Amino acid sequence: MTIRNFVRKPVTNLINLVGLAVSLALVIILSVYSYSELTTDNYHKNGDRVYLFGDLTKGIYTPAILKEHIDLSVPGVESTVRMASAWEAPTFQVGNNDPITSDLLFADEDFFKLLTYHPVEGNLESALKEPMSVVITTMLSEKLFGSDQAVGKTMKINNDKELTVTAVIEAPKANSCISFSAIASVATRKIVFPNGDEFTEWGWCNYQTFMLLKKGINPDETAKKILALYPEIPPDNSAAKLNPFTKLYFSAFNVYGNSYLHHGDKKKIMILVMVAALVLMIALVNFINIFSSQWLDKIKQTGVMKIIGAKRSTILLNVLSEAFLLFLVALFIAIILVGMINPFIQNYTGIRFNPQFIYSPGFILLSIAIVFVLSILFSIIPALRISSSNAIDNLKKTIEQPVSNSFFGGVLVTTQFIIAIVLLAFTVLVQKQVNFGSSDLGFNQNNIIGIKLTPQLNGKKEVLKKLLQEKPNVERISFTQYYPGKQISHWGTHQDINGVKKQLSFDTFNADATFFGVLGLQLTQGRFYSEDLTTDTKKMVVNETFLRENKMENPIGAKFVMGMGMDAGLSEIIGVVKDFHYKAVNEPIVSLVMQNEPNAFYCLVSLQTTDFKSLHRTIDEIKTASSQLSPSFPVEISFFDQAVENMYKSELEFQRTFSLFAGCAIVIGCMGILAMSLFMCQRRIKEIGIRKVNGATIAEVITLLNKNFVKWVAIAFVIATPIAWYTMHKWLEDFAYKTEISWWIFMVSGMLTLGIALLTVSWQSWKAATRNPVEALRYE
Amino acid sequence: MIQLTNIDKYYDSKFQRTYVLKDIILEVKEGEFLSVMGPSGSGKSTLLNIIGLMDSPSSGKYLLDGNSVLDLKEKVRVDYHRNFISFIFQAYHLIEEMTVYENIETPLIYKGVKSHDRESMVADLLDRFNIVAKKDLFPQQLSGGQQQLVGIARAIISKPKLLLADEPTGNLHSTQGEMIMETLKELNNEGMTIIHVTHNEKFAQYGKRIIRLEDGNIRSDTNRKT
Repeated sequence: MTIRNFVRKPVTNLINLVGLAVSLALVIILSVYSYSELTTDNYHKNGDRVYLFGDLTKGIYTPAILKEHIDLSVPGVESTVRMASAWEAPTFQVGNNDPITSDLLFADEDFFKLLTYHPVEGNLESALKEPMSVVITTMLSEKLFGSDQAVGKTMKINNDKELTVTAVIEAPKANSCISFSAIASVATRKIVFPNGDEFTEWGWCNYQTFMLLKKGINPDETAKKILALYPEIPPDNSAAKLNPFTKLYFSAFNVYGNSYLHHGDKKKIMILVMVAALVLMIALVNFINIFSSQWLDKIKQTGVMKIIGAKRSTILLNVLSEAFLLFLVALFIAIILVGMINPFIQNYTGIRFNPQFIYSPGFILLSIAIVFVLSILFSIIPALRISSSNAIDNLKKTIEQPVSNSFFGGVLVTTQFIIAIVLLAFTVLVQKQVNFGSSDLGFNQNNIIGIKLTPQLNGKKEVLKKLLQEKPNVERISFTQYYPGKQISHWGTHQDINGVKKQLSFDTFNADATFFGVLGLQLTQGRFYSEDLTTDTKKMVVNETFLRENKMENPIGAKFVMGMGMDAGLSEIIGVVKDFHYKAVNEPIVSLVMQNEPNAFYCLVSLQTTDFKSLHRTIDEIKTASSQLSPSFPVEISFFDQAVENMYKSELEFQRTFSLFAGCAIVIGCMGILAMSLFMCQRRIKEIGIRKVNGATIAEVITLLNKNFVKWVAIAFVIATPIAWYTMHKWLEDFAYKTEISWWIFMVSGMLTLGIALLTVSWQSWKAATRNPVEALRYE
Repeated sequence: MIQLTNIDKYYDSKFQRTYVLKDIILEVKEGEFLSVMGPSGSGKSTLLNIIGLMDSPSSGKYLLDGNSVLDLKEKVRVDYHRNFISFIFQAYHLIEEMTVYENIETPLIYKGVKSHDRESMVADLLDRFNIVAKKDLFPQQLSGGQQQLVGIARAIISKPKLLLADEPTGNLHSTQGEMIMETLKELNNEGMTIIHVTHNEKFAQYGKRIIRLEDGNIRSDTNRKT
């Protein structure tokens, strides 16, 4: 019976089913994603007692020496663990296999006491005790050792010292704000990457300090005790607290480049959950509209059933089960759909979750239960009305569609239009913001490639330079520590500049003289340093923000100490460049100091614009040449503009997610409007016939039929505009550089909605208006 | 006024051709009151629809007011409906969402009559049919006879030359039916051409001329001399 009913009105029912299925699929994706985001790091056994020391808004970098003082003199701390990732991703080599580049995290040996991971091989409690031991994930183990057992085996790090694998862990199932492929102890770091006075000076802030508090210890008091350990109040951490680890993921903290720590964006998730809710709402409105439009048909049908002797409850049950069945089928289509589009969604929008989750019995049972409740909720009123109507009335069809129904329908459609306009306006805004953020970064991005300097390349920079210069199309070559989206040092020091005590806090990297030309940076004062390092040493170029933040009016010639320990000495500011975005675009530009020290991590090569083919040939040649110089380390070459894209990746992904979902919402809404107009035209067939007989033209009939929809769009526009404006305003608050909310965004989305609605409706109106009135007016 | 020559109307189904009208030859002069009679399915309504330009014949010639009106453009046809031909129906076919007043006014709006003129024209008709008190009621609130009066009022407000009535009394009991027929007769006396389809022998006698249809053919055509 249900299936026959479905087939009898294929268009409307299909609209209903597809709309529900697509919206449920989106809801499933977003809810599973939100669930996994919101439950980030809730699986660690001791997680609720783990804290990160620092001031999240300013800096979470602390000196290594802090741990020793905490261990000695702060009671209540069960264990302190410092963590830092390797500055540059190292390479691991097993035997004579190809070296593999991987990230590496350093942490103190109690790491596994604070955070819970599951061992596949080896014992985690003692895994990091011995220096030069390393714990790796199953994924890395497979890459390095294949299916062999990894524990006990050794591998070379950076073609130098040997590390012994002591345990293999499963990659964490749930989301975590800490991610790594390999972890070694801090003691190992001391041996593998010796780094100045890192372990003895308070000024070397390279670590995050996590700690496990004993039960019942007050974190605020402990934080005060720790702060008192500092010999001098640290400029970035004067307001440091103990931040609960479980809440870390949704805190906006600053980390530099390739960090093991990353954070989510609660606002983004909230917005996506809202979008999911709106999409579901649109589909449910369709459901209500279509369900109540079939009301008259149903009444006729049930009239016959009642006369043959069906009970009220039977009919009620019938109507309800029909609705539930529709929802259930939609749910299963949705689940299949999610499985199918999941890889695409992950790639395109960066929404990642465990797809196995949606096939778990718990999830399926829960969603069936939800669908059950929804279907009953949205069909109970028409069901009750149908079942309680009088059988004779039903047959005579004297039951009129209640007037409230068409009014109600209007409200529902207006609601859909409101949602459509808000979503459209927001999509336009997100697009505008992404364009705004990525349009003017303040430097060249095109035709520049970056070669990561492997240890072997680093030793032969001059040779590399000469080799590259011989290649055709190569314009300029620069050695630098900076690369878009990669790690940048941040320093905070007390300095004495021209006799004035200042607290400085700035980002810094080394770059040679060619760097400015390659990136096309603009000088506002002074000069760039020259190529010749013998005469032009210890010189610095700062950005405009540096002047503003430190209130320097005559910066040229000012000197302060750069570096620490052995290589410290006075450096001189010789130039000021215009601000440019060198970090993620939604972060504010901070003070920046560039100095002409020779150590570099990257070689930037700017190429002359020529045709695509020869460009590619040159890049291939560069790759071969540099690979020859670096036989034991794989050479990575990347396009600058791709790296730059990473600087606004999260915005880009958000934009894609949003436009995808908003698009779906609008399509589903359109389908609903189509069904609605179909129904309205059917109901008014007689009226249209009368009007035509009385001399109405087709155009007049179409106008008559479309008038209501135009009215609804207009009302929706008036209501939607302030809502959209407010949400836009809220969303933009987070951006350091934001685009304007222009009036045309609303106009565009309003007109677009009107256009789409009219197109959809006119299709039906046209059909209704061109019908021969004789058919409509034939006596029934 | 109306000249039908060799009008056929048929439907082709898979195996056979079903004729609804066959070889109809009919002339109706201006000022006539023609009653069309016949059993169900004899083609009365189809004939009326063809005359009213709501349906087109499968073959044959149709001259209306001296012009051929087959294959008209939409615009011309609408013009005929606005100014020349009007309908009344058995089921009244009033627009249920509109009041009596608005129903009668509708054709004038399509015709493009100014609001001020419309008011006086509708008021005249309401007055003539004695339904002034009902003007703000909705069709469902009226009796059948009253609804049909509104239907007639709507049909004649645009001052058509030709009034087509498809069983206007079919849903009414006899006193109300007589009232409607009297109204039509009066209109005819004022010079309006009326073609009227009915089952009812008594009501058919209101016509000055009666034709009887059977199986798509005109069986008889009689002029009443009264």
